[in-house]
Formats: sequence, C-alpha cells, structure tokens
Amino acid sequence: MLMAVKNQARCTFLAIKYGIVKEMLNRVSFITNITFMILNNASMLIQWIVLYSLKDNIGGYTFKEIMLLWGLAASTYGFSHAFFYSSFKLSDTINKGKLDAFIVQPKNVLLNAITTHVSSSAFGDLIFGYLMVFIYGFSFKLFFLFTFFTITGGLIIVAFAIILGSLAFFMDSSELIADNGNNLIVHFATYPDGIFKGFVKLILFTIVPVGIANYIPLQVLINFDIVKFLIVLSLTIFFISLACLIFKLGLKKYSSTNLMSARI
Amino acid sequence: MTAIKVENLSKTFKVKVKDKGLKGSIKSIFKPKYKEIKAVKDISFEVEKGEIIAFIGPNGAGKSTTIKMLTGILFADEGNVEVLGISPNKERKKLAYEIGTVFGQKEQLWMHLTPYDNFKFFGAIYDIPNSVAEKRIENLKMLFELEEFMDTPVRNLSLGQRIRCEIVASLIHEPKVLFLDEPTIGLDPVVKENIRALIKRMNKELKTTIFLTSHDVGDIEKLCKRVIIINHGRIVLDDSMEHLKYNYLNKKIIEVKMKEKVNLEDEPGITILKDKGYNLKIEVDTKDKNVADVIKLLDPDKIIDINISNIPLENIISDIYKNEEK
Repeated sequence: MLMAVKNQARCTFLAIKYGIVKEMLNRVSFITNITFMILNNASMLIQWIVLYSLKDNIGGYTFKEIMLLWGLAASTYGFSHAFFYSSFKLSDTINKGKLDAFIVQPKNVLLNAITTHVSSSAFGDLIFGYLMVFIYGFSFKLFFLFTFFTITGGLIIVAFAIILGSLAFFMDSSELIADNGNNLIVHFATYPDGIFKGFVKLILFTIVPVGIANYIPLQVLINFDIVKFLIVLSLTIFFISLACLIFKLGLKKYSSTNLMSARI
Repeated sequence: MTAIKVENLSKTFKVKVKDKGLKGSIKSIFKPKYKEIKAVKDISFEVEKGEIIAFIGPNGAGKSTTIKMLTGILFADEGNVEVLGISPNKERKKLAYEIGTVFGQKEQLWMHLTPYDNFKFFGAIYDIPNSVAEKRIENLKMLFELEEFMDTPVRNLSLGQRIRCEIVASLIHEPKVLFLDEPTIGLDPVVKENIRALIKRMNKELKTTIFLTSHDVGDIEKLCKRVIIINHGRIVLDDSMEHLKYNYLNKKIIEVKMKEKVNLEDEPGITILKDKGYNLKIEVDTKDKNVADVIKLLDPDKIIDINISNIPLENIISDIYKNEEK
C-alpha cells in the first residue's frame, strides 16, 4: 500500500515536472506570463483603493485584510491551476475520449488525468499571493497558515472542477456549465463574505464552496481559531472524497470516442 | 494456454437524436430523444498465448468497442471478459501491468519530450526501477532502431518514427498481451513494412500475444495466422488465415496479352473485368471452369504474356462483409 502511494507520487511528480519543463521551453513567454499575471492581480486592487478612500470598513474587513483576501484568492487559484490545470479541462478530456490513455495505465486515472498540464501564468498568481502576505505583515505563523490554506483552498477548487468536469460522463455539452461554475468560485473568492447575506451566503458555503476555500481560512488568518481550522481541513477532505466518488461513478459510464487526438 | 477469453460480450450505447434544423434543436432541449446502438452483440472467442490474431471489420463494426472492453476502458453491458485470467473492469490496475496498448489514432506520448524522457516516464508509470528501465530502453532502442532520434522531441518526429516510439512505450513493461488498434494507419508502405517486421520479431522473440485491428489487408496477411471478422457487432468469421484463403480463393485473376482478339463472352465461369482489344483481364471461378481450360480457350499459341494471380484478400474480406449484410 505504502509502495503504491510512493509510486503514484513519483508519477504525479514526474508529470508535473514535465508539464513545467514544457512551459519553460519558451523562456520569454514563461517569464512574461508570470509577470503580467502579478501586474494583472495588482491592478485589480485599484478598485478597492478607491472604495476604501470612501469607507473604512467593507463587509467587516479593512483594506489590509482585503489585500490578504486577494492574496489568498490568487494563491489558491494559482496552486490549483499551476499543478492541476487539466482538472479545469476535464469535460473536454472526457468528451474527446482522452481518458483512454490513463485507463490503460496501472495508476490512478483521475490523478494522472488532472496533472498533465501546467499553467505558467498561475505561478504569477501564487507569487502575488505571497507578496500580499509580506505586505500584510510577515510572520512564520501567518506564512505557515497561508501555505496550508493555499493548499486546502486549491484542492477544494480542484475538487469542485472535478465534480463539474465529471458531469460530462452523465450529460452532453456540460463544458459550459463547468466553465461557468469554475469562474463563479474564482470571482466570489475576491469579495469579502460580509457583503453576502442569506441564501447567497448559504450557496457560497455549500454548492459553490468558496466559503470553505477562502472565507473561513481568511478569518483564521486574521484571528486564529482551531475549530475553524479543523472545519476547513475536514471539509477539504470531504470535497476531495466527493469529487473522487463522482468521478469513479462517472467512469463506469465513460463511452470514449475514436476521435484523432494527441497528448500535446 | 488462453490469453484472452470473451464470452457473450455485449455493449450498447445510448445516443441522442434530434430532428432537422433549428426547430429540431429547440425541441430536443425540452424533449430529448435517444436511440440505442448495439455496438457489440453477444460475441465469444478465445485467443491463445503467443498468437497473433487479426480482429477486423468495416468502420462501425464494433472492433474498437471490443478492444476497449478488453483493455478496461469500457464497461461491458453483458458477458464476461478475461485477459490472462484477469477481469479488465474489476482489476484494471493489475491487468494494466500485463498488457500494452497502441491506438494508432491516439497518441500517448508527451509531444514536447524526447522519446528517451517519454520512455523513462512510462517506466515510472509501470514502477520499473531506473536501472531496469535503462536496460529495457537500450534493448528496445536497438530492436526498433531508434538511435537516430532518441534525443529529438516527439513533435519533431515523422509519423513512422512516432508510431515506433508509441510501440516501444507500450512495451517498456514487457507486456504479455499487446493490443494494437490500427497501428499502421497513415503510414507509407516502407514504414508499414518495417512496423510489421518489428511486430513479428517481437512476437517471436518476446512471445507476446498480439491482438491486432487494422483496415490494412497487408497487416493481416503478413502478420496473422488467425482472423476474426466482425460486422454489425457480430462475429461473422473466425478462421485461420490458411482456411480463409483456401475457402475463398476459388477465384483467379488472369491477365493476358494476345496476338489476336479473342471473345470469351457468355463462357460459364468467366467474368471479363477489362477488355482492351489484345489485353484482357478476366476472373475465373474455378468451381465452374479450371484454369487449364481457360488457357485452352485462349489458345496458348496466341498468348504473348500471361499472369495468373489470386483474388486480393481485400476483395475476399469485402465479399464476406457484403454477404453478411445481405
């Protein structure tokens, strides 16, 4: 069992490594993508500077805390897209029969299928996230917690993408639903939860799990709370398990295709 | 020893259908209609260890669906499949260590990596220690003559070189059964010939069981000793290559160049395929007329040149498909 986990980890590591190698083939494009993503994220903060010049507190957060929120939103997005970019293309992978290559290999189909591509610009998001930590006020505790929540939040985003992508097993033309759902979680992550009330807030903590990926972790980063920390950890495990289960059920319905395809 | 055992295997796909035009599209949103396509209907066969078998049929016959059920890609609706005694759906990972697959239409290699890096990656996929993987890569590199382009990214290789690399990648874990789904698709005749020679050598040296689907009659004729023909999801023929030729090669093609014109119309057992005055191409049904009689009819003194050949296997197979459809 331990050996199997070790071997799977070796494959996943190699797949991600080769994905990064591919992105780095064009050095200029790699560096430009990262730099522009950092600038792009920074430009988004301008609207908040304007808003905070009018008001000291929005949705219960100060400007510094909003910067941390943006940092976490960027780093969770960056983590998920940097290492598991293919999970956001899962519908396409399923619809075009590209899972065949992974099914005939003696490894975890899902993990192999979601680690074939790397997004270079997502590294820019990750860097931006940590820049925000330094601006907010660096401490080892904050750094550790931020890294921890970057991983849990990133994994929740990936799990959500897998659930949406797996719809392709059960229905036609599900790509649009998956794309919209994935955009939804990213957009909501950049607003403070205090501005949402009632039903919308309920949705954001359940169906679109941005609350678990970003809102609760942000509260823990600002004021550490062990209960909330454990809730995030438990719900991350829950969402990953749910995504794996739905994918596994869907795999039984996989119909493949004979479309010409290449692993590019 | 049985390598592949298939019993009463069936697979049905549910496909959405819609009426023509925009109206049909709108209607299908509110009231979707589906039809069932029975891709594979109750097929059974066995393949012995070390055998090279051709599994052929026209487009949409059910070849790829069957191969995908044998490799664990698709779940069967009914029936039982065992490859080396392992159920592809129940023990997918266990089976994957024992089989190799090459899908001519789908590439498994990473395009931006060199063949060497790809093979190393496949070595990791199959948990092969680095030192063992290196040795195998070295052996396969010699066997498949890959030295020249081992350090060239796959995307820069020719199609033939790429297919050779695909086959090597599927052999890195020394599979006992190799599934080849149209491995020579799109290749030129010289490369096809090379690939066939390599497959034959692999079967001989490594005793690999080979399950081959192809539309190329050359692949079948030159590689396989047994043929299974599938059409409309059913097996229409399961016979040795020798029997297939013996039973269906009762027709001969005679191409002849004559000194004088000759009239063979209305002769029983003879069909004129081409008549260009002194050059004649005829098909002789040896059940009705033997070749010697035809030569007598032509008059040997008037023959300048003659060529007698078998009917191409391609025509035999297409006749079998057509008869099945009737």
